[in-house]
Amino acid sequence: MSDTFFSGAPHWAWLIILYFFVGGIAGGGSLLAAIVDWFGAPEDRPVARTGYNVAAVGAIISGALLTIDLGRPLRFWHMLFQSANFPTLMFKGWSPISFGAWGIFLFGLFSVLTALGGMAEEGRLHNPALRAVGGAVRGTLAKVVGGVAGLLGLFIAGYTGVLLSVTNRPIWADGPWLGALFLASGVSTGAATLILLAPGRGATEQSLARLSAFDTKALVVELLVLVLFVASLGAVNRVWLSFWGLVLLVGVGFGILAPLRMHAQRRSLAGAARLVLLGGFLLRLATIFASEGIERYRVAAGM
Amino acid sequence: MAEAMGFFTDTTVCIGCKACEVACKEWNQLPAENGGVRELSGDSYDNTRKLDGIHWRHVRFIEQFKGPYDGRWLMMSDVCKHCVQAGCLEVCPTGAIVRTQFDTVVIQSDVCNGCRACIAACPFGVIDINPVSGTAQKCTLCYDRLQVGLEPACSKACPTDSIQFGAIAELRTRAEKRVAQLKSQGVAAELYGADPGGPLGGLNSFYLLVDKPEVYGLPRHPELPTTNLAKSGGLSVASAAVLGLLAIVGLRKRRMDEQSRGGGGNV
Amino acid sequence: MGSNMAECHPVAFRWPMKAKLNGAKLVHVDPRFTRTSAVADLHVPIRAGSDIAFLGGLINYVINSKRWNTDPFFKEFAVNYTNAATIISDDFKDTEELEGVFSGLVKFSEPAFWPYNGLEGRYDNATWQYKRGPRPAPARVEITRTTAAAGAITKDLIAKRAGPPFDDLVRSLKLGPAEKDPTLQNPHCVFQILKRHFARYTPEMVEQVCGSPKEKFIKVAEMLLESSGRDRSSAFAYAVAWTQHIGRPGAGVMALRGHAAIQGSTDVPTLYHSIHGYMNAPSALRPHETLRDYMAAETTPTSYYGNTPKFLVSYLKSMYGAAATTENDFGYDWHPKILGDHSHIASFAAMADGKVKGMCCVGQNPATSLNGGATRQALRQLDWLVVKDNWLTETATHWYLGPEVKKGEVKIEDIKTEIFFFPSTQIAEYDGSFTNTQRMLQWHSYAAKAPGDCRTDSWFYHNLAKRLKKAYAGSKLSRDQGWNNVSWDFDPDAGEEPLYPGEISARKVLREINGYQTADPKQHLKGFAELKDDGSTTCASWIYCGCYPAWDQNLTARREPDPPGVPGAHLKWGWAWPANRRVMYNRASADLKGNPWSERKRWIWWDPTFVNPPDPKTGKPVPKGKWVGYDVPDFGATKAPDAQPKPDGIGLDALSGTQPFIMRADGRGWLFVPAGLVDGPLPTHYEPHESPIQNPLYKQQTSPVHKVWAPGKPYNKLAVVGDPKFPYVISTYRLTEHYLAGAMSRWLPWLAELQPELFIELGKGLAQEKGIKNLDWLVVSSPRGHIRAKALVTDRIGVMQIAGKRIHHVGMPWHWGWMGLSTGDVVNDLTAWVGDPNVSIHEGKAFVCNVEKA
Repeated sequence: MSDTFFSGAPHWAWLIILYFFVGGIAGGGSLLAAIVDWFGAPEDRPVARTGYNVAAVGAIISGALLTIDLGRPLRFWHMLFQSANFPTLMFKGWSPISFGAWGIFLFGLFSVLTALGGMAEEGRLHNPALRAVGGAVRGTLAKVVGGVAGLLGLFIAGYTGVLLSVTNRPIWADGPWLGALFLASGVSTGAATLILLAPGRGATEQSLARLSAFDTKALVVELLVLVLFVASLGAVNRVWLSFWGLVLLVGVGFGILAPLRMHAQRRSLAGAARLVLLGGFLLRLATIFASEGIERYRVAAGM
Repeated sequence: MAEAMGFFTDTTVCIGCKACEVACKEWNQLPAENGGVRELSGDSYDNTRKLDGIHWRHVRFIEQFKGPYDGRWLMMSDVCKHCVQAGCLEVCPTGAIVRTQFDTVVIQSDVCNGCRACIAACPFGVIDINPVSGTAQKCTLCYDRLQVGLEPACSKACPTDSIQFGAIAELRTRAEKRVAQLKSQGVAAELYGADPGGPLGGLNSFYLLVDKPEVYGLPRHPELPTTNLAKSGGLSVASAAVLGLLAIVGLRKRRMDEQSRGGGGNV
Repeated sequence: MGSNMAECHPVAFRWPMKAKLNGAKLVHVDPRFTRTSAVADLHVPIRAGSDIAFLGGLINYVINSKRWNTDPFFKEFAVNYTNAATIISDDFKDTEELEGVFSGLVKFSEPAFWPYNGLEGRYDNATWQYKRGPRPAPARVEITRTTAAAGAITKDLIAKRAGPPFDDLVRSLKLGPAEKDPTLQNPHCVFQILKRHFARYTPEMVEQVCGSPKEKFIKVAEMLLESSGRDRSSAFAYAVAWTQHIGRPGAGVMALRGHAAIQGSTDVPTLYHSIHGYMNAPSALRPHETLRDYMAAETTPTSYYGNTPKFLVSYLKSMYGAAATTENDFGYDWHPKILGDHSHIASFAAMADGKVKGMCCVGQNPATSLNGGATRQALRQLDWLVVKDNWLTETATHWYLGPEVKKGEVKIEDIKTEIFFFPSTQIAEYDGSFTNTQRMLQWHSYAAKAPGDCRTDSWFYHNLAKRLKKAYAGSKLSRDQGWNNVSWDFDPDAGEEPLYPGEISARKVLREINGYQTADPKQHLKGFAELKDDGSTTCASWIYCGCYPAWDQNLTARREPDPPGVPGAHLKWGWAWPANRRVMYNRASADLKGNPWSERKRWIWWDPTFVNPPDPKTGKPVPKGKWVGYDVPDFGATKAPDAQPKPDGIGLDALSGTQPFIMRADGRGWLFVPAGLVDGPLPTHYEPHESPIQNPLYKQQTSPVHKVWAPGKPYNKLAVVGDPKFPYVISTYRLTEHYLAGAMSRWLPWLAELQPELFIELGKGLAQEKGIKNLDWLVVSSPRGHIRAKALVTDRIGVMQIAGKRIHHVGMPWHWGWMGLSTGDVVNDLTAWVGDPNVSIHEGKAFVCNVEKA
């Protein structure tokens, strides 16, 4: 029996699941946007801009979800500054939730700046202050800021899994692969989101095809990591003999295998992307609730 | 720092009276669940079931019977372990959880913002949200009482001295004597958490048990949550590198011949 | 045994646990495996209602054991410190000869003026008396008397209204010396009677009657023998008065009282049948016509109770103050006399017949009490009812929320009772004293003022008394003169601020209880040795005399423990009656010569070299030697172990230096009880009134003198022996988490959440037979009614083999009612108005029921 079964559930539920999902998309989107921005062709520019926008909106939603989820939302800033010694910074490099808070904060800052830059470039900013900020982020600066946002996006997509691992909870702390898994899922769902949204910003067929081709690889990586994750859980896998195990199975089937098959058959890009999003959501739903739902001690006694 | 203080709980003289639970609630002004109107749990005489934000002490009842009247009924008053290496303190992102001069671990309710990372970090399931304050709460080892030289409310109320409060070093000596006495009487007694070289650097609330720790709802090898950090982080970085490379390779600007083939989707 | 000390007395249970840490063995004999069993070294299951069979088995086993018959300690103790060697009247017949009853059984007819004694038979104990020889006589006293009937000299003294002093009257009551056989061989000696009486209580019989496995029973007996002897002792919680160990440290029979201060409530009693300090209440059924008649009937001349006239006169002075004079026999004629059994159930049986007009329920919740349906029916017959409590209890709300009203069987408009509710203070909101189970008084001060109109119980009765005084002041009726002459002065003195408007002075009450020189109330009595029978001393309760030895010296408020490591009696912590003694009869902790039985078990001992100061009263020199030790000696402090009784002495002068039991007429512990118990001189197993089996020991099924109140009434139906409709044995009991009828716990969220609902504990075997799962709703029924409860299926209770039958045992805690945060049906709706004849205690711990799925 794993010692994790004696710990208590932190009541991380729908808001946190949504955050993990949205954060993953934002992070993945930001990463892909930056890569396209840095290494892509000029005609891929709409993809980059879409990615930065997804990152900015996602970061804002993420921050809001995290804050609402707190027991005392008005004290959200206690994670960034020492409440008794403001403005001394509050930072623990070994605590995912601490460096994660900083990560989300910086990610939000950089992705919003980048997005503003993009919008200024398109002339879509009417507020003078925003236009001033957006106008400043251009050229090389825009590329650097976008690059940082991309790297932070990679971090945001992955640290949530590490956060779960650095606990004493069943499933989460029983294997080391959750960070990698969430990262892969974040990137695949990020790509899927761009596939769905970029056409609205004028992305080309070619851009979308490349994104889709990449998403296939990301899904393969995700599947591989998922297998490693499940294998690492060992006896704890008994937990999956539950509703949440079914959810995970559905998530894998519809969210990974089905899109891979559709990509192989060159069927609807958008349809596959929607399934990838569904799969990414179900993956988080299953991993969070399977652990949350364990009635501690009683299950332990039965194991 | 003053001397390390803590609890030694001798489960062999616990009579399950729950005076510790009530004394704790009274001193710390913790509410009853649903105002006290509740349903019978059906789990022996345990109707509060677990430690959480409004139950900082909990008496566990374990019925071990082979048939009518044939067995034993174990009882144990459980509480925060005040680990020498405390997982909750480690992960707390607000600095609300601190170590005191008594080597105890205390959550400052005015700093905590209810992120609940400590709940998942604790290997013993000690911490939970107090719905009144919206913050994570647990036993403070009566920090306010200790500061004015009083012993904690629970040990003060314990009629049989199953819960003993004192300097850890002295408690350990006392506990070892009691184990030796029980062993001489043929009782399989062992200490849990008394070893400073053991898990988490020893527990400043340790126990004398007569069965396996799991029977009492205690993990055999409690660990710090951060033991998982390097491995999980490393694998994340590795997968990030793989995916990043794949993305750069897949999304980079193509030479003209590749572009004319109409996309790179079949790599 | 028969006690769930860990759950019902968790604070006192500290000491058994300390003893356990010192290596003591703990045995628990109980129908349930309780929290006490959990920490015991051995738990032995026993069917409820069969304790005497188990204890009788232990007696039989021990006195026939090799150890008892070879270790001289046992016989030395028994012959000298108990009445084992005493010869009983030739006319005595034991249960062995009369198929389960003792000699002297006569029919009892209920008197028409109070037909609530619940009896069909009673014992005349004339044949149970000691066989006595002629007394070498001082001239003034009658030569021989062999029965309790007053002799001619006594009658003459009463007729002449002799005394005070009443010494001659007391002396005239002396009996001839009891015959003894120190070899314990005489077939009529107590030891031989005892041996024959318990011979049939074999381990096999114990197994048949109690359902306790024979091996476990023998193990208990062997453990008991192991922990007995010169340097060992054992204690019984709630067992019968049988042990070799009374008066020694770490030993004795523990009277675990049910409430925090219930000891105090019997010392200065709220009991109907006794007046302060365990004197019997004057009774219309006994020869108590005049003061001297009472003294003649109630005084034991050859024990400390030889001082009864002093206790009584000082008590009457406290009752009637200056109005109590020598001429009017200190107001004795004003004192109320009881008419019969006025105990709880008897009073409610009378109430159900409309014989009781009004009732003050102060801190009591009878609506959930014994035979709840009958009790509530009785309450509905009242003209008025006062409820004074912390919350609106079931008793205050039975008229609109009781189960009968809810079911529509009773209409609210048909209830004519006028009900008054008075909000009450909590214990920490007033000053006063507790008397705990160790007879120790501890003063407490209020911690907080009560909210609103909450008032103390003493406030209620004090102000009621003052109003009644005023109301009857003008009455010339002779029946009112007693009340008009009652002295009632408890208002705080000038300068003393009352805690609440109209509140009494609690210190003043304790001063009155302690007593003082009548001529100068500021001169307090320092102990009961100062009491006089001429009215010159005033003392409400002689046993408390000395707790307040000076106007400003309240010993009950002391809080000075002995230093650690000393086997101390903590004599400076509070104050214990009598005379601050912590172990009663502690003379028995030393051997005949006054040396400790063993160094390990020393408590008090005779120091022959102690130089005594001259007698303070007479100035005469006192010979060397004194009882010394950790405790206050429960003996004449300078009475040498070789002291002989004075031929015409009364009180302690009639006892020798080796008779430790100074409250007994023969100074010895009674293994055979010639007087005082009304159901026989020796414990005998009878079946409970409602039992699944025939009595395996005797033809006599139940005690021939047990009580059934309201027999034959529709609200007190009883099951027949082996009733197939009610096949299970049930015990009701208490939990640590709740207190009695729940008024102090079911309203308190912190306690309510610990035990939130009523449940019934039943074995896995019964659950399987009936298809019952844990937490299923069940209907539990008895001939009196049926209730619902959730099932708690456990192996802590279960099936037993009783007299060849497989009998399931179930149990229910009885704390619940319909009010409060933690609610449940009233378990006492199942219990009956059946009880024991000595103290009228109900049989709610052993009766029968049925259990079905709801």
